[in-house]
Amino acid sequence: MKRQNARTLALIICTFTYLIVGAAIFDALESRMETTQSLELHQRKAGLLKTFNLSTEDFDELEKVVLQRKPHKAGVQWKFAGSFYFAITVITTIGYGHAAPSTDGGKVFCMLYALLGIPLTLVMFQSVGERINTFVRYLLHRLKKCLGMRHTEVSMANMVIIGFISCMSTLCVGALAFSHFEGWSFFHAYYYCFITLTTIGFGDYVALQNKHALQTKPEYVAFSFIYILTGLAVIGAFLNLAVLRFMTMNTEDEKRDAEHRALLAHNGLAGGHINCSVDMASSSSTTPSGCGGGSAVGGSGGGAASRGLQNVYAEVLHFQSMCSCLWYKSREKLEYSIPMIIPHELSTSDTEAFSNPFQSNGCVCSQQHHSGISSVSTGLHSFSTYRRLNKRRSSI
Amino acid sequence: MKVQNIRTVSLILSIVFYLFIGAAVFDALESESESSRKKALEQKLNELKKKYGFSEDDYREIERVILQSEPHRAGRQWKFAGSFYFAITVITTIGYGHAVPCTDAGKAFCMFYAVVGIPLTLVMFQSLGERINTLVRYLLRKAKQGLGFRETEVSMGNMVLVGLLSCASTLCIGAAAFSHFEDWTFFNACYYCFITLTTIGFGDFVALQKKDALQKRPPYVAFSFLYILVGLTVVGAFLNLVVLRFIAVNSDQPEPPVLAVSCISFLLVPVTHTREQHRSTENTSWFLPELQHGRFSFLKSLQSIF
Repeated sequence: MKRQNARTLALIICTFTYLIVGAAIFDALESRMETTQSLELHQRKAGLLKTFNLSTEDFDELEKVVLQRKPHKAGVQWKFAGSFYFAITVITTIGYGHAAPSTDGGKVFCMLYALLGIPLTLVMFQSVGERINTFVRYLLHRLKKCLGMRHTEVSMANMVIIGFISCMSTLCVGALAFSHFEGWSFFHAYYYCFITLTTIGFGDYVALQNKHALQTKPEYVAFSFIYILTGLAVIGAFLNLAVLRFMTMNTEDEKRDAEHRALLAHNGLAGGHINCSVDMASSSSTTPSGCGGGSAVGGSGGGAASRGLQNVYAEVLHFQSMCSCLWYKSREKLEYSIPMIIPHELSTSDTEAFSNPFQSNGCVCSQQHHSGISSVSTGLHSFSTYRRLNKRRSSI
Repeated sequence: MKVQNIRTVSLILSIVFYLFIGAAVFDALESESESSRKKALEQKLNELKKKYGFSEDDYREIERVILQSEPHRAGRQWKFAGSFYFAITVITTIGYGHAVPCTDAGKAFCMFYAVVGIPLTLVMFQSLGERINTLVRYLLRKAKQGLGFRETEVSMGNMVLVGLLSCASTLCIGAAAFSHFEDWTFFNACYYCFITLTTIGFGDFVALQKKDALQKRPPYVAFSFLYILVGLTVVGAFLNLVVLRFIAVNSDQPEPPVLAVSCISFLLVPVTHTREQHRSTENTSWFLPELQHGRFSFLKSLQSIF
């Protein structure tokens, strides 16, 4: 099975298992408390009905009024400050629900607003996060130099540790602030910050809902907004560092498969017989260009020597693709260790095979081919691995 | 200034601007309705208080009971079905808040659960979304071949169109289903599906909260869970197709270009390598026409969409 398919299937199974295990644990933790609370509330309600001589319809009416009044009790929610707060909860997808549009026009605008705002916000936070990471990497590098350490390179582990520490401190700073301003316990304030900054946003704890803060305490309002946005940037930086590379894994693999197929086609044109079986388990369901095209054209060129080299090269490709997982994790290290020489010897036409091994992303064949790219990749105009490809093109 | 910094600053400014605009429009749309509703509710409340002779303390007690009973009214929230629903809202970050952990242990576990679950889910949806996109691309190419088109290559524009259509149909199917099962209007059900699939999850509309559905209607429960997960996959596939390329993978490579909005600045400032800042060689030619190929093909891809 293709690696991407196996990976996707494994992830799906993992997630479902995770959901089931989580459900069981939440059940165990909360069910009993729920039953007790439910019983108690039932009793209190019965007591109230008797004390005030209310019928169930009366109570239902009261209930409706009380529930509808809930957002209003917390203050004016739709003046500018409140609307700004709401807009933040929409485009960051936090979505507390402490205030939700009640008019149809508001709902429609909310949907349109989210449609454009959410991708914009995603890109913005990732952009800011990447800048933060670069800056931190630079500072750490200078620090290491200053301290006179031998290895001044900043490793991934360094960055992850720093990212983790900054996330924790962001949460703690927020917890301190909100526990002070909102009168929550530190743990509850921490829980609030966590639920907010992961954009889950239950709405059980919401800032700026006490004592009409939205209208009467502008500095606290400004602090809350800035905290939410900055906190999300810090979390975004950590996600950008640690998680994003895994989100692009399938796409990168697909591109590499396409490049391999194209490279093999190219080499087949130049050197005759193509070792199709080299296409390691990644059976191309999408394109026939790799093996078929080559063998059709293959002539008497090359010889045993080039075939031998091709086999060795195929082995390297095989190794690389099998180790893509490792490759992603230690991309920096692998770049320096995979021998870059082999494609250079194989190439018959391109002298510019690779200009700078340190800049290659480990994809040894990306320098050489500019034709016969499978249709899989035509739709993929992503530039991270194709920019070197584009460098080779004289006309676009 | 480096192009990445310019890009980042312009993104920040656009977001702040976008927030201000949004706030103003929401204010205009909702403020009046809010104050009139508030007045009406206060009146109603005073009437009721007088009718039943409540004191302030009495009323506060009643209010407390009613507010605390709210989640219980919708049924058992923490049996297995309800907990599964809750777990979904946590790891997908939808977070309705229709049921929240009351115990401190529940809250703590919720946080740990989210720390592992959210990245796992993000990666899973993107992974599955990419597989779906690849399959669609393959099917579309076969369809084009079958229909005898001259150009059988699947362009980005084709993919974006198909993506938009699938998102729209997912929304409509969900709206039809939930408006039937939950007795909402089609518009409200649409609004619910949208808010759910964008993971905003206000909680003003929540499925499976009527007539004890979580315990009594397992097929409907299964449908809701599947709908949420499949819908998020479809949206994730679309995001993978359109938005992911604009997100800079951290500094191992030069960043891909961003939005059409910052296209112009991008044209004027050359791309620099972000990876090794201390090794970067910055060209400082600020004028055209040293177009880098990466930039140029980005413009081309934009053309193919429109």
